Amino acid sequence: MDRKQGLENIARRVREVLADDPAASDELRRSRAAVLEKVGRRKMTSRFLRWSPGVPRRRSMLLAISGSFAAGAAALWIWTRPPTFEIGEARPGELGDVVEATDGRVVPVSFSEGSTLVLRDGGRVRVLSLNAAAARVLVEDGVVDATIVHRQARKTRWEFEVGLYRVTVTGTKFRIAFRAGDGSLRVSTEAGRVVVAGGCLEAPATVGAGESLEPSCAPPAGPAANDSAVAPAAPPDATPTVKANQIERWRQLLAGGHLLDGLRAAERASFDQVCRVATEKELLALADAGRFFGPSKRAVAALTALRQRFPGSRDAGTAAFTLGRMAFENDHDYRKAAGWFETYMREEPRGPLMGDAFGRLMEARLHSGDGTGARASAQQYLRRFPGGPYSSEAIGILSK
Amino acid sequence: MAALYDRYGAQVRLTLRSILGPDDDIPDLLQEVFIRALDRIGRLREVDRLGSWLTTMAVFVGRAQIRVRSRRRWLRVLSPERTRSRQLEQPPSDARRAVREIYAVLDGMPIDQRVVFVLRHFHGARLAEAAEACETSLATVKRRLAQAEARFLEAVRRQPGLAQWLEEGTRWTENKA
Repeated sequence: MDRKQGLENIARRVREVLADDPAASDELRRSRAAVLEKVGRRKMTSRFLRWSPGVPRRRSMLLAISGSFAAGAAALWIWTRPPTFEIGEARPGELGDVVEATDGRVVPVSFSEGSTLVLRDGGRVRVLSLNAAAARVLVEDGVVDATIVHRQARKTRWEFEVGLYRVTVTGTKFRIAFRAGDGSLRVSTEAGRVVVAGGCLEAPATVGAGESLEPSCAPPAGPAANDSAVAPAAPPDATPTVKANQIERWRQLLAGGHLLDGLRAAERASFDQVCRVATEKELLALADAGRFFGPSKRAVAALTALRQRFPGSRDAGTAAFTLGRMAFENDHDYRKAAGWFETYMREEPRGPLMGDAFGRLMEARLHSGDGTGARASAQQYLRRFPGGPYSSEAIGILSK
Repeated sequence: MAALYDRYGAQVRLTLRSILGPDDDIPDLLQEVFIRALDRIGRLREVDRLGSWLTTMAVFVGRAQIRVRSRRRWLRVLSPERTRSRQLEQPPSDARRAVREIYAVLDGMPIDQRVVFVLRHFHGARLAEAAEACETSLATVKRRLAQAEARFLEAVRRQPGLAQWLEEGTRWTENKA
């Protein structure tokens, strides 16, 4: 047996084992969901599919990549239906990517169920999530004219995250004009109505047909002409406690991907106040900053605020899972961790972290001395995720 | 990003698995490769080299993981309970057990030699591709590969089970029962 043949014998067998991996498809699917979620959570401008004539090299790269990956794009097309959205004439849109109208251009975004967004005057948005029942859009800058179609068969829920504000759509046709530079917002409704909340508003404000709302964080010096029609009656002491420039500072830092600086700026502006006005994504970013750079109590505060202010959202479920991880790994408080994992499983039964939540719940129960619970979790895990990453652990628990 | 992942996710995962062998951090590392790719896509000059560019990134992440595992082994000696890792694999068959032993042999090899060895023999990369993935010259890859092969064969021959498979590869069959 010569050396070359011997090596080839071993190499061939190793390649066979590597190729015959029952966990591969599950791992790929879970990692895909996690990657897309992480990308969607990033506030920084997409470096991959930025639509801007100011960066011709990237655009040409985008076009070349689009051509090269027709097969991949087709897979994505199938995966995201229904519904889907297109940018411009026929370019399929992807969740989390920046869509931008630069140099005076008008860019339409058409959704397969009939809704449209028209971006103009530097309008820049990302579609964060989209399914048959709901859609979430992040408006980063500029003007967005929205026409939302509600299907007869089911009531769809559209939400726009705009700076510190959240615009919930219950009507059909409206305009959002947002200037990221100074954080100013104007919402005008042509038909139907929308509800604006967050930011410097003490209470959600409804903007009906023919009305407009321009909330301001400046201290109230008297009746504001623009707001009088729709703004909620503010009590005399309703002066916003977070100054506008401080809000902008931590927001801009987080949006630029500077988590640590954003966290420190938020602390300077009063972390508790920031948690009361931050969007879901900003709270998740603050929580990441707290987890990565400390103190971890900031992460707990941000995640707790997220769950209190946005109950029922997917991010609230993610927050529960993250709180469980922190309780498990940082505090070794396995009972508390088990409680959070159970919360995630209850709130997001089809969530992308379900397998991990199951496995970690099993481990948390085992570590907390709940042998019966751990066995039950192990049985459930093996039923739902045969061959999953916690399978060996589950088999080990059941064999004891 | 979704299209990129769909096109190259399996390839990147296989690269990581070839370099690392059984490792329960592979899903996290897979994510890390693509997040790194997103951060660095602007530096890519030739789009048609995207596949090999991602392989280079996977090699980089794989190397870092080998170092992490090395540190973990020390920690495990000091505190076995805290650093206990999950087992990613199914209950091992003969072949899987043998693969684990082979990767245990590779764990004793210098990282540079190990990476070239697995890219060439387990991942099926050509020498030029391995050189590109390791960001080094062809001559260096050849030298590392020769050193790695000699070291690997020597180590395998010291282990009766693996030596048998080395010389009688056809007997090394998957036990499906």
